[in-house]
Amino acid sequence: MRAYLAFTKKEFIENLRTYKLLILLAVFLLFGVMSPLVAKLVPEIMQNLGIGGIKITLPEATAMDSWVQFFKNVGQIGLLVLAVVFAGIMSNEFSRGTLVNVLTKGLKRHTVIFSKLTAAALIWTMSYLLCLAVTYGYTVYFWDMGELQHVFLAFFSMWLFGLLLVVLLILGGTLFKTFIGSLLLAGGAVVAMTLLNISPKIQKYNPVTLCGDNTALLTGVKNASDFVPAVIICIALVVVLTTVSVVVFDRKQI
Amino acid sequence: MTDVLTIQNLTKSFGKETVIDGLTFSVPEGSIFGFIGKNGAGKTTTMKMTLGLLAADSGEITVCGERVSFGQTATNRHIGYLLDVPEFYGYMRPKEYLWLCGEITGLENAKIKSRSEELLKLVGLAGINKKIGSFSRGMKQRLGIAQALLNEPKLLICDEPTSALDPVGRKEILEILRQVKDKTTVIFSTHIISDVERICDRIAVLDKGRLALSGTIAELKAKHKSGGFTATFDAGTDKERVLGVLAENHLQPIGVEETEQTIENLFMEVIL
Repeated sequence: MRAYLAFTKKEFIENLRTYKLLILLAVFLLFGVMSPLVAKLVPEIMQNLGIGGIKITLPEATAMDSWVQFFKNVGQIGLLVLAVVFAGIMSNEFSRGTLVNVLTKGLKRHTVIFSKLTAAALIWTMSYLLCLAVTYGYTVYFWDMGELQHVFLAFFSMWLFGLLLVVLLILGGTLFKTFIGSLLLAGGAVVAMTLLNISPKIQKYNPVTLCGDNTALLTGVKNASDFVPAVIICIALVVVLTTVSVVVFDRKQI
Repeated sequence: MTDVLTIQNLTKSFGKETVIDGLTFSVPEGSIFGFIGKNGAGKTTTMKMTLGLLAADSGEITVCGERVSFGQTATNRHIGYLLDVPEFYGYMRPKEYLWLCGEITGLENAKIKSRSEELLKLVGLAGINKKIGSFSRGMKQRLGIAQALLNEPKLLICDEPTSALDPVGRKEILEILRQVKDKTTVIFSTHIISDVERICDRIAVLDKGRLALSGTIAELKAKHKSGGFTATFDAGTDKERVLGVLAENHLQPIGVEETEQTIENLFMEVIL
C-alpha cells in the first residue's frame, strides 16, 4: 500500500512538473468557457453578418446548444488531447529505462499499472469536472436551464468513455512499449467501435455511444435503456483490459 | 565463506542466438567480484536474469540461498543494482528520488532520512538540490550507487559502472566501491581490465556465454605465471649501458621496449 501511494505520488509529481496536468486543465478550462460562448455568440454573429444582403435568422440559442457544444468539444478534441497527453504513460518508462531501478527496489509490477491508472484517472476526472463546472456556470448565467433528462447518466457516460481511453492507452503502452503503439491501440479501438456503430442493433451495447449521443439523452430523445448496456460493457472492458495490462506487464522482459 | 550468489547451468537465448550457454559460477560473501567480458559477451543478460528482469531458459540462480524467479522476485530485497547508464526521473531532485526508493523498498521514514543523508555524503552529492535531469553522467552514476545501497543490500550488482565515465569519474566510482566492500558483496561487470585489477579480488571471464576463466586474482596469477618479467628504468638511464651489462653477463633479452607516457597518466596530470 505504501509503495502504491509513493508511486502514485511520483506520477502526480511527474504530471505536474512535465506540464501534462497544466496542459489538460488549460485545454478543458478553455472548452468549458468556449462551449457556452460559441453557443451564445454564433447566432448573433451570423445575424449581423448579412451575407450579400441576405438576412440570416437563426433561432435564439438555448441552454441545450451550450451542452451540444460541450459534448462535441469534450467528446472529440478533448478526448484526442487526453490520448496524446497520456500516450507516453507506459512507453516513457520503457524507453528511458526508468523502471529498472524501481522494480529492482521491490516495486510490484501490478503497482506500476494501478498507480498510473489512478493518477491518469484522477487527472482526467479533475479536467472533466472543471470543464463541466465552467460550462454549467456560463450556461446558467446566459439561459434558463430548462428541464434536462438523465443528467447524471449523460455526463457520467462521457467520463466513463474517457476512462476506457486511458485504460486502452496503458494496455497499448504495456504491449508495444512505444508511444505510437499506445496511441494506435487506443485509436484503433475507437475506430473499430465507430465502424461497429453502423449497425443500429449494436449501438446500445457499444461504448462509443457513451461519447456520441449524450445530448439525445439530455433532451429525452434517447432513454436510459439505450445507454445502460453500453455503460455496463464499458465498465467490464475497463476491468478486463486493466487485468490484461497487469498480466502482460508481469511477463514482460525489461 | 558462504556464497551470496550462485548460478547453475544458466542458459538464455534471444531468438536463435544463444547468449548464455550453460554458465556456472558463484560469488562468495565479502568479495569484490569482477565479471569480465567483451561487449555482447552476456554480462548484462546474466545480471538481468539475476534480478528477475529477464527470464532464463534453463538453469538456476540463487541469491542468499533463495531461488530467483522471473518477474516478481523476493530475492531483490537482498540486491542493490546499478546500471551502466542509470536513468532517473529527470524532474525529481536527488533526495526526492531516494525518498521514493525508500518508500518502495519499505524502509521507515527515519531510516530513509538518515540513510539518504549518509549515502549522498558518501557519493559526494550532499547539498546538491538541483533536478536530476541536469546531472552529468558521473553524478547520475554516483546517485545510482546511493540508490543501490539505500536498503543496505547484501549484494551490490554493478553493470559496467565505469564504462561511460571519464577517467576522473571512474576513479571516484572505484573508490566508492572499495569503501562499501566491508558491508556488502560487490559484483562488478566491465570490459576495462585495469579497473578490475585496481579493486577486485576475484574474477570470472565470460566469453560467448561460457565461463572462460575464474578464481581469485592471486590464484589466477599464481597459476598462469608467465615466467618472464619486465624491468623498468628511470628516464635518465643509459639504455646502451644496461644492454651492455646484460650482454657481458650473457643475458639476452627477447625484446627491448621503450616505455611511453600513457595518455591516461597525462590526462590525470593535466586534469588534477
